[in-house]
Amino acid sequence: MLSEWGHVGFLLVLAIIFPLGGVVTSWLFSRLRLRPDRPNPVKEDTYECGIPTEGPAWVQFNFRYYIFALLFVIFDVEAVFLFPWATSLERVAVAGFIEVLTFVLVLLIGLIYAWRKRALEWL
Amino acid sequence: MENVNLIGPQLLLMAVGGLLLICDAFAGLLGARRWMAWYVVGTPGLALLGGLGSLLWAVAHAATDTRGSAFFDTYVLDDFSLFFAVLFAGVVIAVVLFSVDYLRGNRHQAEYYALVLASAAGLMFLAGARDLIAIFVALELTSICQFILAGFLKDDRSSEAGIKYLLLGAVAAALTLYGMALLFGLSGSTSLEGIARAAAEADDQRLGFVLASVLLAAGLGFKMAIVPFQMWVPDVYQGAPTPVTGYLSVGSKAAGFAVAARVFVEGLGQGAIAPDWATMFAVLSVLSMTLGNVVALVQNDIKRLLGYSSIAQAGYFLIGLAAVAAGEPQVELGLGGLLFFAASYAFTNLGAFACVIAISQRIRSDSIADYTGMARRSPLLALALTLCLVSLTGIPPTAGFVAKLYIFNAAVQADLVWLAIAGVINSVISAYYYLRIVLNMYVGEPVSPEPVRPTPLLAVATAAAVAGLLVLGVFPFPVIDAAEAAARAFS
Amino acid sequence: MSVGLEHFLVLSALLFGVGLFMALAKRNIVGILMGIELMFNAVNLSLVAFARFLEAAERLSGQVFVVFSITVAAAEAAVALALAVAIYRRRESVDVDRINLLRW
Repeated sequence: MLSEWGHVGFLLVLAIIFPLGGVVTSWLFSRLRLRPDRPNPVKEDTYECGIPTEGPAWVQFNFRYYIFALLFVIFDVEAVFLFPWATSLERVAVAGFIEVLTFVLVLLIGLIYAWRKRALEWL
Repeated sequence: MENVNLIGPQLLLMAVGGLLLICDAFAGLLGARRWMAWYVVGTPGLALLGGLGSLLWAVAHAATDTRGSAFFDTYVLDDFSLFFAVLFAGVVIAVVLFSVDYLRGNRHQAEYYALVLASAAGLMFLAGARDLIAIFVALELTSICQFILAGFLKDDRSSEAGIKYLLLGAVAAALTLYGMALLFGLSGSTSLEGIARAAAEADDQRLGFVLASVLLAAGLGFKMAIVPFQMWVPDVYQGAPTPVTGYLSVGSKAAGFAVAARVFVEGLGQGAIAPDWATMFAVLSVLSMTLGNVVALVQNDIKRLLGYSSIAQAGYFLIGLAAVAAGEPQVELGLGGLLFFAASYAFTNLGAFACVIAISQRIRSDSIADYTGMARRSPLLALALTLCLVSLTGIPPTAGFVAKLYIFNAAVQADLVWLAIAGVINSVISAYYYLRIVLNMYVGEPVSPEPVRPTPLLAVATAAAVAGLLVLGVFPFPVIDAAEAAARAFS
Repeated sequence: MSVGLEHFLVLSALLFGVGLFMALAKRNIVGILMGIELMFNAVNLSLVAFARFLEAAERLSGQVFVVFSITVAAAEAAVALALAVAIYRRRESVDVDRINLLRW
């Protein structure tokens, strides 16, 4: 038991040393003046390439995103019922299949409703 | 197929709800004129048909003596759930009748009726669910629909009522869920049968069961609107659309008591813990009655007043629940009293809300001061509202009198004389604010001489409710028999 | 020391307490919702712990219960966010102290 956890502990130590080693070496090299150090505004930017960043990251999102997020959450979470059904497909047989079909039909009604009410379009 | 027949009434409601949504989604393809017809006649008509069909199906179950349990015993159709199925189908029909004129011009009628029907299906499931999972899902089915309904108008007050109801309701749901998880942990089963077996022989786990009952009572108490889980009631009642307020005050309260009766009597009724929760309910009953009545004395908004009055009425319901635990003969008396009280309260409160909707639609105000002299502006509406208020007070010859007599008698039989006395004192207090409105309507100059006339649908609903409360007041025996038969379903 | 049922139950109770405190103390609707989600998930934790440790015939019901509770919580959160958006559109605020047209 403990030896198995020992493997995990070893990996954990390795996982900490590996990235930390790079950072520490780089810092040491700059201290010893082995590494050039010429900062400029472009280099210090959050994203070095692409469009220039603008404003803080804590901005309010357009609430239209919410509608997509809501629809995603609902349909995504309902899928959780399909997994137990799929694993026990043979045992629940035809009755289970019909029940799942009913379930999907209900979801389908929701999807059709959302589609016809233009919730899926970016207005 | 047998399973499907047993849950027929609720299935029909949900199917009609889905049909409403689908039809509405494609209604835009119709021409402008037919589209108007769909809005004005189609949606409420379809919803009404759904309610009537559901009522007929439930009555057919009663007539053909169809009983049984469905879906691996998670839902049971016995006299108890049938009683509530008929009651809720009636409530749904009344709510649809209330809403037609109230919602005139609203573009989202189809969604409104679909939500009403779906939540009513949840109420029916709640009365018959025998498994914690089924109870939880049914509870949330009704709750989530009602959250949306409370915030339906999207104006400031309505959306505020919706979000308050939702946030507090979600906390209550989490408490209920925690109680259910503890019950599952203590008994190793989610079915009420398994829980009853474990509760009967669990003397060393009494503390755990008590904790679970407290958590469950907190969550269900929110639905029942009892002290100390009543803080949402006045705000939501005032802010929500008035038909929804009527629906909440009757449907969701009755369902809360139905599921509480099933969980506590069927699941936790045996064994050492029954006296514990009975005492808890007795204390909560006194608190609810007193707080509801005392605060109602100073209200000047009629919807808020009816909100506090419904908290007080929940206290009378609780007397029935507290009396149940006293022993075998009292189960029938206490539960029967609870069920009869639910029926009489449904007629009375729906009638009162019908009158309030009819009056406030015309005078555009919910203030009690504006009801002054209403007897001259509309004698019939004033009479109907008077009868409903008299019934809420508990004065003969109305249903409220018989219901209170019955439930106080159950308390006395169960050696809870002090509870009955508290109930009587509270009825006297409540008479002050109920009858003050009546006095206000008959004495005093009207604010304006313009007559107030209800629309035909509202008139029908009001007349039916008033007729019901008078019939129950004068000749209650068939309903009492039905209620006692339903109460025997647990023994 | 092996991890037993008690550990899970204590952790679950603590998480539930934190969630309840958040739900009651936060002034922002989204913060309250996060507290409520935490409460639901704390209960889910004790349900799966019971399902794992109990020696009852029906112990799998605990896991089934969790599946239902997750979906119900998601539906509730969706409705809550929709209502919050509706309120924000009208009032430019989701602070419960400023949603006070109806007295608490």
